[in-house]
Amino acid sequence: MKRASAAEIVVPGPTPRRFYGHGIPRVELEKLAGRLIVVEGADGSGRSTQIAMLVEWLEGTGHATVQVGLKRSTLVSAELEQAQQGNILSRTTLSLFYATDFADQLENIILPALKAGFIVLADRYIYTLMARDLVRGMDEAWLKNLYGIALEPDAVFYLNVPPEELVQRSFAKNAALDYWESGMDIGLSRDMFDSFMKYQTAVQKHFREMQATYGFTIVDGLRPPDAINAELRKKISAVLAAR
Amino acid sequence: MKTFAEHGFPGRLIAVEGLDGSGKSTQIYLLKRWLELQQLKVYFSEWNSSELVKAATSKGKKRELLTPTTFSLIHATDFADRYERHLVPLLRAGYLVLCDRYIFTAFARDVVRGCPPEWVRGLYSFAALPDLTFFFKADLQVSLQRILDGRPQLKYFEAGMDLHLSSDPYESFRIFQGRMLEQYLAMSTEFNFVVIDANGMVESQQARVRELVAHHIDLPSYRRAERPALPRSRPIRPALRTPKVVEEVVE
Repeated sequence: MKRASAAEIVVPGPTPRRFYGHGIPRVELEKLAGRLIVVEGADGSGRSTQIAMLVEWLEGTGHATVQVGLKRSTLVSAELEQAQQGNILSRTTLSLFYATDFADQLENIILPALKAGFIVLADRYIYTLMARDLVRGMDEAWLKNLYGIALEPDAVFYLNVPPEELVQRSFAKNAALDYWESGMDIGLSRDMFDSFMKYQTAVQKHFREMQATYGFTIVDGLRPPDAINAELRKKISAVLAAR
Repeated sequence: MKTFAEHGFPGRLIAVEGLDGSGKSTQIYLLKRWLELQQLKVYFSEWNSSELVKAATSKGKKRELLTPTTFSLIHATDFADRYERHLVPLLRAGYLVLCDRYIFTAFARDVVRGCPPEWVRGLYSFAALPDLTFFFKADLQVSLQRILDGRPQLKYFEAGMDLHLSSDPYESFRIFQGRMLEQYLAMSTEFNFVVIDANGMVESQQARVRELVAHHIDLPSYRRAERPALPRSRPIRPALRTPKVVEEVVE
């Protein structure tokens, strides 16, 4: 990777910002000088690899970065994990619990970091949360209102990997399928492999539908990591230069 | 939004709302006792009673981590847990469910904290409306006095200190409660609140509450089955005497 000389460092200019819906009270959008980059995709789609490579590249080119992800809030992440272990929450409750975790990170990490001019890399965002809930039959209008608090990102990449390949990657890494990533709570099938395939297929269907609304970039996740990262960097460079 | 009756639930939900110190908890307790003594199927539910999110709520409150949005969401999570695991199954099973505070508390409180009203209402749109909502309307001074006399140590969020209305907790509490009252009164007509004058005597309020409950709900149909059905061998009595037989069985 070529290192940028001091003169080559791109200083991001102001960019128009909006919330998807009602937003967060008392936020001055014009003061959010940084950039929000979202990487979406199933477990095993290569999100963390891509984010790690982006951090290297961004820091190398003079940008300060912050990383956020689902279930990482100070407020409720421990309780959320505990509740998931027992699988005792009904769907609306679990949905709101995840939204609380998201809102806590949005207000306490994402917005302050953007205000301070950081590049925020989000390992998943509201789209995964919405897709999971849609598969579980939650009302779309209700979800849109709920996540109307979210800030519209500057770029969203969806790493698209077919379920057949996700299964192989999951076995190569853990030799097991994750209960929630297999959608076992919904009862699609008692056979875990079968359930995984059905669940991931349904999630991908919702992602494709959301793409029309939210306009994210669908990235072919089957290519080598370097090739994928080159595509992401190209698009992010444009986002950084935009004013 | 529809009530539980309009949704076809066999059970009925009665909610009480009002400011801290309005005496609503006393009134719903007395209503509960009256219904129980009639051998009716009654369940009493309070906001914030679910074990699951209690830990997160108290952590957030203690460390003052909560913003208006997360405060609203964590209470909505708590409500959803209570709603889906307790209220809905009990109402399906034909219970009379009494709620000390319902979604209107959130509508008032979260909006006073600065959340957009449409957003908050949207969050709770999964919940059906109560079949009967009592609003205990006391003069602001009366409810403030009741609280401030009994509990001199005001908690941070309870006093609305997060809104920076005043650096004095008592003054902050007064302003906060005043704004809550405005919100409640503004939605009173929209949600069909039955307004009870909470400045009056406990007994006269309770008499009015019981009268209205009996008028709106067919109470005898919520009687619990105290004993198993009579054995078949027992002789069938003439139809005319049936009411008396029922009385004997219930005793």
